[in-house]
Amino acid sequence: MRIHLVTMPWQPIELPSLQVGLLHALLDRTRPDDEVREFHGSLRWAEFLLERSKGALRPGDHVAVGSESIFDGLGDWVFSGVLYNDPEWGVAQLKEYAARRGTDISTATAMRVHAAEFIEESADAILDEAPDVVGFTTTFMQNVSSLALAAELKRRRPGLTVVFGGSNCDGPMGHALHRNHRFVDHVVRGEGEYALPALLTHIDAGTAPADVPGLCWWDGQESRANEESRRTVAPADIPSPDYDLWQQAVDASPVAEYVHPKLVVEGARGCWWGEKHHCTFCGLNGSAMTFRAKPGNRLWDEVDRLVRRHRILDIVTVDNIIDMAYFKDFLPLAAESRWDLRMHYEVKSNLTAEQLELLARAGSVHIQPGIESLSNRALDLMDKGVSGSRNIRTLRECENHSLTCSWNYLYGFPGETDQDYASVIDQMPALVHLQPPGGAHRIQLERFSPNFANPALGFPQRRPAEMYRHVYDLPEDQLADLVYLFDTPPAGIGGGTEARLKAAARDWYTGHPASTLVLEQPTGDETLLVHDRRHGWPRRTHRLTGWHAAALRHLEAGRTRSALHRLLTADGDPPTGAELDAWLRETVALGLLFDDGRSYVSLPTWHVPVRSVERAQAPDGTAGGASGTPDNGEKAAG
Amino acid sequence: MSPLPAPPTRTAPALPAGWVPHRIRGRLVTVDEPLRLGAGGRPAAEAVRFLRECQSHDLVVRWLPATDDPLFTGPAHEVAGTAGLLRHLPAPGPLPGEPAELTTWRERHAYGQLYHRRGPDFVTVMDRREPSAAARFTIDDPDLLAAFRTVQDPTAVAALDAVGREAVDLLAAERLARVTDGWAVALPPRIRRWPVPCTDI
Repeated sequence: MRIHLVTMPWQPIELPSLQVGLLHALLDRTRPDDEVREFHGSLRWAEFLLERSKGALRPGDHVAVGSESIFDGLGDWVFSGVLYNDPEWGVAQLKEYAARRGTDISTATAMRVHAAEFIEESADAILDEAPDVVGFTTTFMQNVSSLALAAELKRRRPGLTVVFGGSNCDGPMGHALHRNHRFVDHVVRGEGEYALPALLTHIDAGTAPADVPGLCWWDGQESRANEESRRTVAPADIPSPDYDLWQQAVDASPVAEYVHPKLVVEGARGCWWGEKHHCTFCGLNGSAMTFRAKPGNRLWDEVDRLVRRHRILDIVTVDNIIDMAYFKDFLPLAAESRWDLRMHYEVKSNLTAEQLELLARAGSVHIQPGIESLSNRALDLMDKGVSGSRNIRTLRECENHSLTCSWNYLYGFPGETDQDYASVIDQMPALVHLQPPGGAHRIQLERFSPNFANPALGFPQRRPAEMYRHVYDLPEDQLADLVYLFDTPPAGIGGGTEARLKAAARDWYTGHPASTLVLEQPTGDETLLVHDRRHGWPRRTHRLTGWHAAALRHLEAGRTRSALHRLLTADGDPPTGAELDAWLRETVALGLLFDDGRSYVSLPTWHVPVRSVERAQAPDGTAGGASGTPDNGEKAAG
Repeated sequence: MSPLPAPPTRTAPALPAGWVPHRIRGRLVTVDEPLRLGAGGRPAAEAVRFLRECQSHDLVVRWLPATDDPLFTGPAHEVAGTAGLLRHLPAPGPLPGEPAELTTWRERHAYGQLYHRRGPDFVTVMDRREPSAAARFTIDDPDLLAAFRTVQDPTAVAALDAVGREAVDLLAAERLARVTDGWAVALPPRIRRWPVPCTDI
């Protein structure tokens, strides 16, 4: 059998498709007599746009539409005219939507005129290789481009078998996708490692795949959806991806000069935190929350193999949360390699300073700790399991260890009030030396999240997100099963508090590059110096002595007032309760402490990372601009 | 006194000793004598190595060019060529009457314009000294890789065998090594500290 694995726009063009890589390796192992080929449609689309637009539509535009418009559905819309065989389909709807929301659709519009020809050429390329089965993997905005190509393939060669799988096919979404698109023969719902080989065995034998768990298939004109299995794929059965054909495609591509290829690896599936406390807004794990991880040494063997084979040191892990065991095996192995890796990892925000230091040493220099908020009340409402001061600690330690920290400030949780935000917003100017959120965003209702599954949590009214109206020509009851995002009446804060939060997040972002707040302890001295060079604050150095200095150090770990008082009492010569209260008030006002309402945490850092804004040296030879300068108090050890 | 957590430390960097007299205080390095980067030969190669290692450790360097050095007194195109080649290294401090190209160096220098990363049996190089002509290299040919490693330290070209000389010529042609008066030295610092955000370089 000849099998074609396809990843269509908007797979990020600098990344191989993990799904294609995994399935290729799986099929090589389980069906050695088959011939497996790949079609990197997203990369081809970027090439196609570059050529047809004579260089006007570049890979950066591909990113803008494919990754950054996910809440407006522009990437899907680009191909919807092809899917519905009508160039004007969805155009008026999108224009009206964009005008109302102020959405820029010029790039997507410029791309859309090329979509039909691209689909035709893609079909030519695939059919030239005479596949028996074409398998599409679809996540986020890959649905419509994949459906458009699948329809064209079946129109030209009805005997071809078309299979869909991927995150967009999980649960009811997969069945809706199947029953509304007759040209899709099969939809694999959930993980594919067991289901796809079982399906291919049926295709070989010409038998009905009625026993393949989760599979959708056609029984005459009836779309059948087999019951989904509760059995998850064991880590030992998750293959190591094969990216050889992707590498060939990248090497031959004129797009290569525009992108910085990275490897994608998978250590774990599911979420160990979500098994116990599912964050109320999160639907990312779909229907398979059960946490499973490859042993750390096996993951390192995979990384070792891929790095050597592809000569690439940039690695993106797709794990929704790092396996804590990796701090004992995988990360030390990565650190011991002494390779200059640059890895991205999603972690929980309660890591210790030592764990963050290990991440940095292992080359996992880009982390996504799921900070989400600095308000205890909002964090409690989302069942995040961390406090505001703990999140501040994480941000502070990221500075100390030069870790890039990606996060967004989320709001709109049912039950939150203006009061939950007032203190945080007031204190945000003091945080300007720490890495800012990408923005403040209202949460959206995601399928598979507790907020979706349980309307009593605060979102009883919901309908498919408005953007899907310019993406799919389907009735709302079908969209309700097909899509991932839903619109709801806004919950939680709004009005002035929402505006203040957004403005404070913007100011933080703007002021960050030029801001530092650095601790110095002169050798042999118990005095602490805090050099304040934050945007919006007086340029000054605070000198702390005695219990004031000790208190600031104790609060690096984040402590309640009473815990701090106990520690200072144990130190001897403690302040009175009134003195301590006065000092805490004053130090918060100076922006040296963050108060989350339960505990206090110190804000100054010991080190300043290089900020990536262009760092010119000042005329006197000192570093100008954003980065830590010698006069900011930061000292190298030794 | 209850125990306080030890502050996170940064290891003091080991800088090349001997050729470039300097003092280091925290992250500030002050070079005690004017450098002669334009003169070529071993002293220039050693000075380049020193600045390269300072850059690799994200140190701020105060240094001045010798005013009788070709980098200061030479024809504009030669000064521009050298300054452009070394733009990724800490720039010289200002001096009255300095060539405009040195001012440009100071203005255009930025962290991460040229750096290398080490893998198991290869090295990758990112070159953004000329933003309009950014380039990536993967050095995995054994001879080229050996030469790149060798010229991390200033090396007399005459001491290399024919294969090594050819490899150094190739590195120089790609502006990844500087060869002057028979001495070669690699130009891309190893990246030891990623900026924030790390994805920007």
